[in-house]
Amino acid sequence: MHLQIKKQGRAGLIAIVTALVAGLAATTLTSCSSSSDQASEVTELTIYSGRSEEFIAPFFAQWEAESGIKLNIRYGDSAELAAQILEEGSNSPADLFLSQDAGSLGAVAMAELFTSLPEGVASDIPAEYIDSDRRWVGITGRARVFAYNPNSLKVLPTSITDLTQSVYKGKLGIAPTNASFQAFVTALIENKGETFAQKWLEDLKANDVKIYPKNGAIVEAIDKNEISIGLVNHYYTWEISEALGRPINAKNGFFAPGDLGNLINVSGAGVLASSKKYAASQDLINFLTSTSTQAEFVTKTHEYSLISSAAAPEDLPQLLEIGAPSIDLDVLKNIKATQDLLVKVGLL
Amino acid sequence: MPLKTADRASAAPLHIVKGRGSSLSALNAAVGVVLAITLIPFIYIAFRAFEKPLPEILDLLLRAKTLQVLATTTALLLIVVAVNIFIGTLMAAGLHFIRLPKAHLFILPTILPLAIPSYVFTYTWLALIPSLSGLFAAAFILILTTMPYMLLAILVSLRRIDSSLIEVARTLGLSRFKIFIRVILPQIRSSISAGALLSGLYVLSDFGAVSLLNVETLTVSIQNMFKASYDRSAASVISILLILASVVFIAFNERLKDSDNKENISKRLMAKNIRINNPGLKTSLLFSVALYTTLAVVLPIYVLISRFIGNPNPIDFAQLFETAVSTISVAALGAFIALLMSAPLGLLLSTRAGKYSRLAERIILVGHALPGVIIGLGLVSLGSKLGPLYQSTLLLAFAYALLFLAKAVASMTSALQLVPSTLKEVAATLGKSKSKVTTSVVFPIALPSIGLGTLLVFLTAMKELPATLMLRPTGMDTLATQIWSYASINRFNDAAPYALLLVLIAAIPTFLLSAPRNPSEKVEISQ
Repeated sequence: MHLQIKKQGRAGLIAIVTALVAGLAATTLTSCSSSSDQASEVTELTIYSGRSEEFIAPFFAQWEAESGIKLNIRYGDSAELAAQILEEGSNSPADLFLSQDAGSLGAVAMAELFTSLPEGVASDIPAEYIDSDRRWVGITGRARVFAYNPNSLKVLPTSITDLTQSVYKGKLGIAPTNASFQAFVTALIENKGETFAQKWLEDLKANDVKIYPKNGAIVEAIDKNEISIGLVNHYYTWEISEALGRPINAKNGFFAPGDLGNLINVSGAGVLASSKKYAASQDLINFLTSTSTQAEFVTKTHEYSLISSAAAPEDLPQLLEIGAPSIDLDVLKNIKATQDLLVKVGLL
Repeated sequence: MPLKTADRASAAPLHIVKGRGSSLSALNAAVGVVLAITLIPFIYIAFRAFEKPLPEILDLLLRAKTLQVLATTTALLLIVVAVNIFIGTLMAAGLHFIRLPKAHLFILPTILPLAIPSYVFTYTWLALIPSLSGLFAAAFILILTTMPYMLLAILVSLRRIDSSLIEVARTLGLSRFKIFIRVILPQIRSSISAGALLSGLYVLSDFGAVSLLNVETLTVSIQNMFKASYDRSAASVISILLILASVVFIAFNERLKDSDNKENISKRLMAKNIRINNPGLKTSLLFSVALYTTLAVVLPIYVLISRFIGNPNPIDFAQLFETAVSTISVAALGAFIALLMSAPLGLLLSTRAGKYSRLAERIILVGHALPGVIIGLGLVSLGSKLGPLYQSTLLLAFAYALLFLAKAVASMTSALQLVPSTLKEVAATLGKSKSKVTTSVVFPIALPSIGLGTLLVFLTAMKELPATLMLRPTGMDTLATQIWSYASINRFNDAAPYALLLVLIAAIPTFLLSAPRNPSEKVEISQ
């Protein structure tokens, strides 16, 4: 019997080795043959989109019609697509990565997988919404706001520090697992220091803050009057109303100018260095950042256009009038310290 | 057990021994290839984890946070498995032994929750109780989700138990409770352990339910590592911990199993079924089936249907149909690949299980505990070097096979064990060729159970999300990705038709899984 097991083991081992060698050989072969020429005319582009299909697909369709270039679009979660691109490295089939937030773009940029965009690309977007090395550009603006139920909330806060007062006890909702909430806390730590941020979070908790899994759930809860105020991105009041097919009992409010609660984050895009289709990819970015497309983002997805002169989404102040705190978007990618802090105070 | 097998081999007729060497090493080689494939995610994890210097790895593993997450995971695992074993065994025994008209119609709704992905489950429960959150809420949801694994495993083995022993025990005057403890329980122990194993590994790898309910298990930690810092090495280090946790769980689970008595198989096939007809027991069984079905099927489907009706937007039926077709085809291809991959190991395990084949089995089981996102990234890492094969339907189907191979291997092995070796030997001595023995003896007995394993892989592949998002052909949608796509922008109404269709399609194999297969003679005992 002993002998038999030995024989089994040896045959298996040989097979494992053979399979691994075969795999390796196949890998080497294909990677040798994958170089292609730049000169041939571009007929297709591959997009990794962290932005949801429902909102962005009409824009892609419009560009396809205008350029005659077919888009292969892969939708996914921004952070997971970033991880996928990091894993694919120079073999990535993607030409362009479109992300919901600056953090995921920063991660790909740090791994040096984006190419730098020439000055002429996205020329209408102000420099503050573009990576300092031009590896990615912002496309739309997303403002942090407080959403509130106008029927039940009579006293509006002017600063995030007001939220720890007893007026808001048990009435405030947050979503600590949400990426944009974490981006806001990151900005808070950067700006006011960790001690301040920790104290604020602990005071919120002591004030019986309600925890929700997502921004959308906060706005739904406000509409149902379970809570009367919540920290969300500005477009959720519209998104929930659209999803429910009726007007809802929730409005957006901004804090006093300069307050960190008014943080502006961006969605954006970068062109993969491994792409052979720089010109077409840059053309798509130019389309997305053009005055007319930007105006459509404002009316269709209720996001902010990043162009200074553009109109604001309905019922909202102009981007420059929000009084956003001045924060370098590059620092928002490191939310590790933020998560550790949220864990420490027991919100994660 | 291996010793016994070896003995039998040496006593076997001459022409079976002839040519055994070559077919055995072919089998071993095939298992080796399958094993090499299943090692891909492990190699990936090791490769990524050891990019970090050792002190940093240890730091990450031993920090308070990690230990806390490990404790949470363990607690969740133990609660779910313990409750599942207790309730699952009672419910399965009730469903099997208590006489009900059209019994399989009562079994069907208890298996149907298999058709509902845990994230859909959690969304619907959150719609009912928005404040649902925490360890016990997650345990509640996961018990509802995984109970069918328990019931299926136990019901299948109850159909095969030796009822002559029960009759002997009855004539000896043993009470019903004692018969259950002393006669029935020992015979279904290994299937209880199999059910516990599947539900436990499910808990370890689940992301949907726990993340929505704010419970940080190891799998959630792994996912958070990506989101927090895009740190694939840290995620891999935590994956090592998850691997260790599942190794411990599997080892612990094997102690449940006891030495199974395969020798009774030939008798089992001919055993009569015993049915109890006690009104009190019948009422409590009906009550528990009704309660479970309400919580795990009726309420979620009620929420989905009310969302479906409340949907103000028109439904794109063409897209719905196209999505359903691609979901079914890629899941079916995945199930087929899993079937092919599980065959050599199943054959080896059922005929001459040795150290090597048992090790292979355990590695496949451990792989089952890995979250889809890790297996997905492992395949992205390798697949992105494979040119046109990357992000093809074939690679996605292959990922499904890899993810759910454990399910296929488990049913393949138990199916082939069903075939008494004496029967094969008799057939061989009667001058039948080896292939004839396989087609005329082995297949007819083993096929139904192998089919069920394949259906189980098909069912779970249809619900799979994280690996699908990474590996699907660019532009292809499955029902699961569509549900995710709408749910991520709070369009639960728009997600509802996809979720309902998924449940509907999955209900078909579920129905087959719950249908009675041995319409054998029934003996009634009225009290």
